[in-house]
Amino acid sequence: MVIKHKWIFKTEAPWSDANEKMLALDTGGWRTERPVLDKSLCNYCGLCALYCPPQCMRDKGDHYEVDLKWCKGCGICAHECPRKALTMKPEGDFANES
Amino acid sequence: MKAKKGQVSVMMGNAVTATVAALCRPEVIACYPITPQSEVAETISSIVADGKLDADIVEVEGENSAMNVCRGASLAGARTFTATSSYGLVYMYDTILETAGFRAPVVMANVNRETPGIHAVSSGQQDLISTRDSGWIQIIVENNQEIADQLIMCYRLAEDYDIQLPVMMNYDGYYLSYLNEEVEIPVQEDVDAFLAPLKKQPKRPVIVPGAATGAGTHGMEMGYVEARYKHWSAMDRAKKKVDEIDKEFGDYFGRSYGGQIEEYKMDDAEIAIVASGSAAGTAKDVIDDKRAAGIKVGLVKLRLFRPFPEERLIQALKGKKAISVIDRSICFGWKYGPMCTELKALASSIGNVPILSYIDGLANLDITIPHIGRVVDETAAAAEGKAYQDITWIPLEE
Ligand code: SF4
Ligand code: SF4
Repeated sequence: MVIKHKWIFKTEAPWSDANEKMLALDTGGWRTERPVLDKSLCNYCGLCALYCPPQCMRDKGDHYEVDLKWCKGCGICAHECPRKALTMKPEGDFANES
Repeated sequence: MKAKKGQVSVMMGNAVTATVAALCRPEVIACYPITPQSEVAETISSIVADGKLDADIVEVEGENSAMNVCRGASLAGARTFTATSSYGLVYMYDTILETAGFRAPVVMANVNRETPGIHAVSSGQQDLISTRDSGWIQIIVENNQEIADQLIMCYRLAEDYDIQLPVMMNYDGYYLSYLNEEVEIPVQEDVDAFLAPLKKQPKRPVIVPGAATGAGTHGMEMGYVEARYKHWSAMDRAKKKVDEIDKEFGDYFGRSYGGQIEEYKMDDAEIAIVASGSAAGTAKDVIDDKRAAGIKVGLVKLRLFRPFPEERLIQALKGKKAISVIDRSICFGWKYGPMCTELKALASSIGNVPILSYIDGLANLDITIPHIGRVVDETAAAAEGKAYQDITWIPLEE
């Protein structure tokens, strides 16, 4: 057998670097809504980051910022936020942004 | 031989498992009791409670959690141990698949018992068969000494950097779990020394608190294909590794078992019996008697069931005039027993000879000396060109 495939995992077992190269699909492309933060309500408790399934909430020191490359728009962060600082907004609202 | 003489005593199979597992120094143990395995869970818990082993025992509410705990601990770098049987094994089915897919080198003793479907609290290998495609390495042992020795070898195999696979060591419930036999328990320093080469190998990746690593990451599309190919390749490599570790064990402890298969009086044998587990011990006695009566018969004891020892079996069985396989389980959907069905896949390499399938020893019905005697006689007749039955459920013809 001649293997033409370029190995994806560096390790024998399927281990990956979840910061950037987690072998999820392009989960950002699944999104129909995105979480938008009202910073005045956020107390930096970190629950949104803890619950986010693809772990795409980035720690900014005094708040968390969603990484839209991976955010799949599930809304779990907004649901879990005790201070209702996150609101899910339709992607259509951002259609004109690059 | 380098090992010191260990303590020799008469011990029950389950006590041997727990005692030797402790000598392998697992760091995390999660073991839910189930007949006929319960003494393993009880004994290893008391070893830890008595302060003789520094390990964390995680008390779980069932086998599914037990395997999840072991996988998690294993991925964090710990050596783990668990044991189960029958209902317990199938209750952890999803988690044993994940443990294999994640390539977590968990070692588990599975004390063979019939599976759900027909509630039989009795011996049989159906539980092993029900998990054969789980991606675990599956080894079957014959007696209590082999439990002790193979368990140590299981850690060398599972944690080997080239393998990184979970290993399931199987032994017959009731026949071995509750059987008292003379066993030499290796001394701690020798077990440590035998497992020491693992420490010199490169370190497998482990979960580190705070690090963003994905273990057992779901590989979509080509990631899946790659992970499966690597797993499949590691299974293939495991065959030779089993032989190497067995040889090394023999050099060190003075006891060895043939690796993937044990060949008993096979060199000049004209016909062969293939069996596994405690029944292989009975078969050796029958073979001695039949040889005294002039029948040139030998035994192949199947020790490694997954991966299937293709090359070794072909080498051992090529040129024999007839072969019989005694299965202690059923293959639903195929006419023959599971091990016989697998062996038949090698028929083109072994030669066009009769391969007879026997089902025996289900639900604690003994695979007796007369039963195996009958198998030998019928195999000899088939080798001479006489008509034979290709599948026989021995208890139904009694
Ligand atoms: S859960 Fe809400 S309050 Fe807490 S850090 Fe996230 S956005 Fe801020
Ligand atoms: S919407 Fe879902 S994926 Fe996106 S940041 Fe919130 S929890 Fe994470």
